[in-house]
Amino acid sequence: MRAKQLTDLLKKGDKIAVSNITGREASQVTGISQKYCTNIVGGWALGKGGQTLDTPQGPIRVFATFEELLRLTPKENHPNKILIYSPPDAVYGEVKEILKHGAGIVDTLYIITEHVSVEVTAKIYRLCLAARVNVVGCNTLGIINVHDHVRIGAVGGDSPEESFKPGSITIISNSGNMVNTISSYLSSVGMQVSFGISTGKDRLILFSLKHFLMLAEKDEHTKIVVLYVEPGGTYEAEAIDWMSKKKFSKPVIVYVGGAIAEKTNVSLGHAGAVIEGKTSSASGKKTLFDDYFRIPPFTPAKKYRKTADLAEALSRGIRVDILHHIPLAVDLVTQVLRIPKDSSSFKPLTLNPWFSNLRELGKELPAELSLSPGTIPEPYKSQYMMLRKGFVDTMVRQPMRGASRASSNDGAVPRIYGYSLMSLMRERSFIAGLILYWTGSLPRNEFEERLAEMTLTASLTNGPGTISAQGAKLSASAGNRPHSAMIGTLSSIGTVHGGNGAKAVSFLLEIFSETSLTDPYDKSFDPIPLAHKAAAAFKKKKDAAKAIGLEYEKIPCLGHPVFAHEAVNYDPREQVIYQFLKENGKPQVFLDFYHALAEALRENHSTSKVMAVNVDAAIACIWLGLCWRAVIEKEMTTQRAMDIPFAAFALGRAAGGAGEFLDHQDYGTPMDMRIPVHECRSLTRPRE
Amino acid sequence: MAQKITEYTFIKHFAPRYKIPVPGHLSGNSTVSEIKRSLEAWNGKALVKPDILAGKRGKAGAVSTIRSAQEAVKELNRISGIEINGNLPRGAYLVEMIPAQWEIFTAITYNSANRGPSLTISLDGGIDIENVSDDKKITIPIDIFEGLDAYQASDALQKLNCPQNLISPFSRVLIAFWDMFISTGMISAEINPWRITPDGKPYACDFKGTLDEANYKCEIPGITYPEYPANISDFEESMSEWDKISHQGQAHVSELGGNKILPLLFGGGASTIITEILDAGGGSPIFLSDFGGNPPYERMYGTAKRCLDHHLTHAELLLILGGKANNTFIDITFQAIADALSEYCRENGPIHIPVVIGRGGPKLVKGFLIMTQVLDQLQIPYVVFGPDSPVTMVAEYAAQLVNAAGKLRGLNNAG
Repeated sequence: MRAKQLTDLLKKGDKIAVSNITGREASQVTGISQKYCTNIVGGWALGKGGQTLDTPQGPIRVFATFEELLRLTPKENHPNKILIYSPPDAVYGEVKEILKHGAGIVDTLYIITEHVSVEVTAKIYRLCLAARVNVVGCNTLGIINVHDHVRIGAVGGDSPEESFKPGSITIISNSGNMVNTISSYLSSVGMQVSFGISTGKDRLILFSLKHFLMLAEKDEHTKIVVLYVEPGGTYEAEAIDWMSKKKFSKPVIVYVGGAIAEKTNVSLGHAGAVIEGKTSSASGKKTLFDDYFRIPPFTPAKKYRKTADLAEALSRGIRVDILHHIPLAVDLVTQVLRIPKDSSSFKPLTLNPWFSNLRELGKELPAELSLSPGTIPEPYKSQYMMLRKGFVDTMVRQPMRGASRASSNDGAVPRIYGYSLMSLMRERSFIAGLILYWTGSLPRNEFEERLAEMTLTASLTNGPGTISAQGAKLSASAGNRPHSAMIGTLSSIGTVHGGNGAKAVSFLLEIFSETSLTDPYDKSFDPIPLAHKAAAAFKKKKDAAKAIGLEYEKIPCLGHPVFAHEAVNYDPREQVIYQFLKENGKPQVFLDFYHALAEALRENHSTSKVMAVNVDAAIACIWLGLCWRAVIEKEMTTQRAMDIPFAAFALGRAAGGAGEFLDHQDYGTPMDMRIPVHECRSLTRPRE
Repeated sequence: MAQKITEYTFIKHFAPRYKIPVPGHLSGNSTVSEIKRSLEAWNGKALVKPDILAGKRGKAGAVSTIRSAQEAVKELNRISGIEINGNLPRGAYLVEMIPAQWEIFTAITYNSANRGPSLTISLDGGIDIENVSDDKKITIPIDIFEGLDAYQASDALQKLNCPQNLISPFSRVLIAFWDMFISTGMISAEINPWRITPDGKPYACDFKGTLDEANYKCEIPGITYPEYPANISDFEESMSEWDKISHQGQAHVSELGGNKILPLLFGGGASTIITEILDAGGGSPIFLSDFGGNPPYERMYGTAKRCLDHHLTHAELLLILGGKANNTFIDITFQAIADALSEYCRENGPIHIPVVIGRGGPKLVKGFLIMTQVLDQLQIPYVVFGPDSPVTMVAEYAAQLVNAAGKLRGLNNAG
């Protein structure tokens, strides 16, 4: 063991590198850790060199190997702690690479990976011992040093501050989950945490309990140690032997789980919970601790008298039989040994149902079991209120044959998302009702209504030559009724005619999902850097594709076959919307971004002209603006946000198709859309 | 993640490969004339043993000595069908009876004290090592890289006052034993006893071992490990197969024989504690489960669906409980469980048993909303607790609730 004190395992200023950082779990945990303590300096993943892992605190560089990370990172940023998230078969190789290249740099390894073979685990132990590198794991969840506000691994989940506040208890647990859980319990008696440690519980635990206790003995913040212990291994026997001989000075509160394995012969969840002998079973460990404490297990109902004998026994500690007795036992120890509380707040642990609906059963149950909903504590209450407002939270898949969230009719009042249709008829415009039906919310103001209406008007027509108008005219020419002509129009629009708006929304979501934009009309938001970044990315893709003769994916909704002849091109329909926004002093971020992008593409020579931002882009931008708040608050699916602009175009154009039908019916001749035979060309020769 | 190895697999596959001397042996389906020929070569005496995944108490009581081919056939048939500590054998086999002057115990296992392999030897072989006093056994650590060498083995035997003439031959077989252990990815291996003939020849006369399935070495070309009529239920077998499919998220279960609470539990530690509380509180949990480890949706859906399909029809309460997760996304796991529950009700009709939920962790509120909406839609009674309610108290409550609901049902039925 190289560490001399707990802070050697993790302290403020330590620099961490993560193996396999682009993996599903590693990337999630890295993002949260950066938010909590920004101590990750880089990572590596085979074949992923050159990428970055974006976090709100800035991008983290991803290297191909650990050696490359060291070579390309300034010395002052070299990592001294390594978090290993590699797959089981890769762990041994990673450790060897780290020890080879990180000699004199790396002092501690944390191996999160589960299912590493026992043989490899034993080899890792030997290699690290020889290299004088601490190794924690395998299958650890990591460590949190609460006073220094730093963690390595996933202890504390996605909100470490919620469970861990600085205090005087060090938790050492065979279960990662129990570190969190016990910490939450302790706050009920005004006690908080110094270090939260997950030892891992594989067959071999490489950093043993004895060594953790040796370090806890020297930790100035640690006044009490809480242990969560499972069957398997002789670590506790070894630790108790050491504590007895060295007169360990800090009281230990211990819970030993897993006795059920002896009674029922079941196998427990953790791989290391395998009995090696009588001192490694749960009952064996309980006896060892009881013998060390020399006091029977904690009994909450008992009235402990504060005698010298009790103080002497509790100075070693006490065992609890039930997990939620830990805080009560800690409370007793603090009172008897006069250890100051970390906080003045005291809230006994109780059952607090957040949601309850026991239906008929609740009426028959005894009162103490028929629980009514209690109070949801913060921050959960705010999260609940926010989620309840939307409707994504109700998106549980279910049979929808007779069910709808969008509409209802109780026999008297037809409604749209709860709003009476008659009230809407009397008080609101058609477009307001449409926005409600499509987005789940009424528009916030008339300005938004006006914008949405403009998109429908813009969609009505682009002249009789458009494919969609031709659809209606063909139908009229054949003698169909208006609804068939409108279907003819709808059948003649698709992903390249009208449907490009969905692609534009997808493109915009990708660009803007990495920003903190909340208001699409935020004047302080500058979309130009984003446009340049997107233009550069496009040019790179285009050049690469062209170099090998491949087609490249175009940016959706830029350019128009009609409006394409000037050095700087505009779609006049889009311009109406664009100017309307400007005139009203509400430039829209998405549409501004599109214009900036058209210019940036010309500037970096991706295009020879400034391409027109076409009307599909305007429709996409306006409707995405209407949906933006719901999308970022996860109240609306991105699929819906992508479908709405296409629906807007289709609605406008179908109405336009009806106009073409009525015109054609009045003035056209039967079958006039037929192409005369002499105008048709055959591309095959007669064969007989 | 462990595969148990029996003596029969050992003598058939491992012993010849690593040159470990074993008695002559015959499979249970040998012909009478083969048995006769072998008995002649074995001085007319042999043992019939069951091929079984022996527990701690081994094959004791199910090994018989035979002296003729007829007796052998009779005993092979009898022992093939005998149940030992709840386990059934795969068959039975014959082994030569080795006359012994000495019986020696040896085991190689990974030892938590030195975080590496170690060899334990006792000259009092043939009995359970825990019943041998400390002064009559010795444990020596083995360097994982350098392995066991003959000098170490001989030194250990000297310390046990092993007869001098045995030290050299026995040290050699110990090296072979180590070679087998390390080359096949074993976690533990026990040869007990080695029977040493009066002329000093050692024979490995019983074996049990465990392979580490996380170690690639245990997949040996040419060896297919036999399947044993395992003492596990269809449910455990189905879940075991499902567990092996992916490393993303655990799907560990172990049946407890209970008949009231169907527990979907999360976290290795929490699952153990909760099960103990349920058991102590009369909640009669049907099985112990650990489904933590941040399972993706498909993994959790498959896990939940299997649990519900096997046990929900006879369960009296569904418990979904875990501590405050560090990295398991609650919305994903709960969406998967909710979908599995909806699917179950679609396939099997409505259920009315109460559901008790307790959880903490990332995306908790969304997970709770998803779950409560499904329970409302399915008209199932429920109570949901957040991380401010201790898991152990929630478990106590679930045990009380299932018993109170059971009493009410009894009263209603009687009425």
